[in-house]
Order: sequence, then C-alpha cells, then structure tokens
Amino acid sequence: MSTGHTKEPSFLGGRIPPEIELMSKNLKDLDQDTFRKLLKAVVGALEGRDNRDAIKSVSENCLISPNKLNHVVAGMYQVLSEAIRISSATLKQEFISDFSSVVFGNRRVALEAASSQTDPHLPTLEQLQWRVDVAISTGSLSRALQPSVLMQMKLSDSSFKQFEVPVSKFQELRYNVALILKEMNDLEKRNILKIQD
Amino acid sequence: MADTDAAKSLSGLLNGITQKVYYNNPDITEELLKNELYLEMSQDEFSALHEKMRGLLKSIASADMDQGQLDAFLTAQTKRRQGGAGLSSEQAAVLTRFWKTHRTKVRESLLNQSRWEPALRGVSWRVDVQAGDRRGDTAHSGAVALVELELGRTGESSDFVCLEMDESKVNLLLKKMGDIQQSIDRIVHHSPQKSEEA
Repeated sequence: MSTGHTKEPSFLGGRIPPEIELMSKNLKDLDQDTFRKLLKAVVGALEGRDNRDAIKSVSENCLISPNKLNHVVAGMYQVLSEAIRISSATLKQEFISDFSSVVFGNRRVALEAASSQTDPHLPTLEQLQWRVDVAISTGSLSRALQPSVLMQMKLSDSSFKQFEVPVSKFQELRYNVALILKEMNDLEKRNILKIQD
Repeated sequence: MADTDAAKSLSGLLNGITQKVYYNNPDITEELLKNELYLEMSQDEFSALHEKMRGLLKSIASADMDQGQLDAFLTAQTKRRQGGAGLSSEQAAVLTRFWKTHRTKVRESLLNQSRWEPALRGVSWRVDVQAGDRRGDTAHSGAVALVELELGRTGESSDFVCLEMDESKVNLLLKKMGDIQQSIDRIVHHSPQKSEEA
C-alpha cells in the first residue's frame, strides 16, 4: 500500500479526472437533499441497479439544469468507483469522520487563522500616537505659524518610528488611507477569486 | 539701457543669494556672483552691495513679508538713501518683483530648516489578497494593505518603512486621521484672521 502511495499522489492519479473537476464546480449549487438523492442513485448504479428513473425524478423536481446534474452524476460515479478501490484497512472508519470534521468543521477558521500567523509578514502597526504642533517662531522665521503633525508608530517588530508630517503631506496621507480602505471594501464586493477563470 | 542691465544684474544677485542661503545650493559663491554679474565693480563695492542685499533679504524672509509689509519696508529703506546705505527705487522694484516669485519657496525652505525629525516625504501602497502559502490555498483570508512610508531629514537620503495592515487596521488609521484633521482645522481656521490683525 505505502509503495503504491508514493508512486501515485492520490487515488485519483496524478491528475484529477475532468469529470470530477466538473462535479466539484457544479456541486456548489446543490442542496443537501438533492445531493443525497443523487448519491443514492449513483451508489445504486455502482451496485448494478438501473437508477435512471430516480435521476430523472431529481432532475424534474429541482431547478438545476440537466446538464449540471449530468456533470455531478458523472463525477460522483467516477469518484466512488476510484475510491472503492482503496483498501478499507487504510484508515479506521471512525478516524475518517474525525479527520474530516476537523478539516471541514467549525475548527477550520481557527486553524486557518493560526496557520496564517506563521506565513511571512511585514511588520504591522501596533500603535499610533500623534500630536499637532504649531511652530510659532523659529531661528530664521519670526512668525512661522505653521502646523505640523508629529506621529509615532509602534510596529509589531517592536520598533518605533517617529516622524513629522507637514500639513500638505498629511492631506496626501489621509487621502491615500481612505483610498486603500475603499479598495479593500471594493475587493470584498467583487469576488476577487474570479481572476482564476 | 543701463537701468535694465542693472536690474538684471541685481535680480541675478538676489537669485544667487537665495540659492546659497535659502535653498542650500553650495555651488553658488560670492566670488562666482561677482565674476558673473558685477565684473567691472570693485571688490569692496561688490561686497557692500552683496552684504546689503543679503541683509535685506534676511529681514524680508524672516518676517515673511506680504506685499503691504514689503512696500512699507522698502519705502523706509529708499528714504534712508540720503544717509548713504539706502536703496534706490529701481532696486526696490527689483526686490519687490523678486520676492513675489520666491516668497512661498523661501518660507517653505526656512520651515524645513527648523524640522529635525524625519519628515514624511511620500506614501506608496498596494492591496494584496493572499492566494496561497506553503499549505496551499488560503483563499479565505482577507485583503492586506502594504504601505511604504518614505521618511527623511532635510538634505538626507530617504528611509523607507514598510508595514502591512488588514482592513480593520486601515479603518482605525483612517479614524485617527479624521481626529488629527479636526485638530488641525481648529488651529487653521482661526489663524488667518490672527495673522491679518498682527
């Protein structure tokens, strides 16, 4: 078993069959009830029964296009027929559900958050202190009357950065921060992952 | 003809002094100005003129004179002419023209001379979405803003600070910026009246 495993990265082979890829795309639109009915029909087919009527009735009673349903059924069939060849001794039954509940259950958010902590990061802003000063008079300018902002940033790498921001630059900074926030909000509205298509 | 030449030379001299004193241009020297603009003048005469103009510019710049203040100041200087050290009305006209174009820049440069902390020179940023890491897909993580601040002291090269912020941090920062803005507005809205009164 273990030797077979090193040769083949997964029970589906080196490349995921197109039927299965299509299935996982189309599964998103399915509710659990329809999914279970289809699964039952596919399992029936694997056991050698004719389940065309069952599939036909699902197709008539749900809003998913027949084309999509066909993709789902074909993918399910493929996945199950490949998976059935995995020896049942590979992993104890009760462990499988425990594993999958960790991966897909409500622990997932916490796990993802924890693991992303270890990704490489730039320092983040921990604290920002500020003060607005007005220079009244200087050695070379008797009446300066010039406001400026003194900022002190504490970064997560525990360094401090202190700098002065002239008012004109402050406007620029504020404008840019607003622009960043807008860009981030827009990103959330458009689903950025559509880039992959 | 002689007057326009004199005006041109004086304008050049004022420019030269300003470059040297206010814009920190080390290439301009008194000798260079004499050779380029007042070759025929004796060294003593030139030194006196140079000193006088430097002094006048210093007074004008230090008080950051507006048009009215400058007129009053220069009128007083031309009246002193009888005393010997005064200013001709042609010279006064050149100074007026010169100051009109340079006032803002000179003031800016003087303000910079009294700034000792590094100043913010520029901001660049980009917004990223993390698409993956060593464990694979992390499509669920939110957008991250990467911000680079360019900081530097007057006359020194820039230092760059890079940091990243998630959306809530950016939101918080924007709120602080709003607070700072309010704080500035409280001062700036009152100051123009005050400066006119003074």
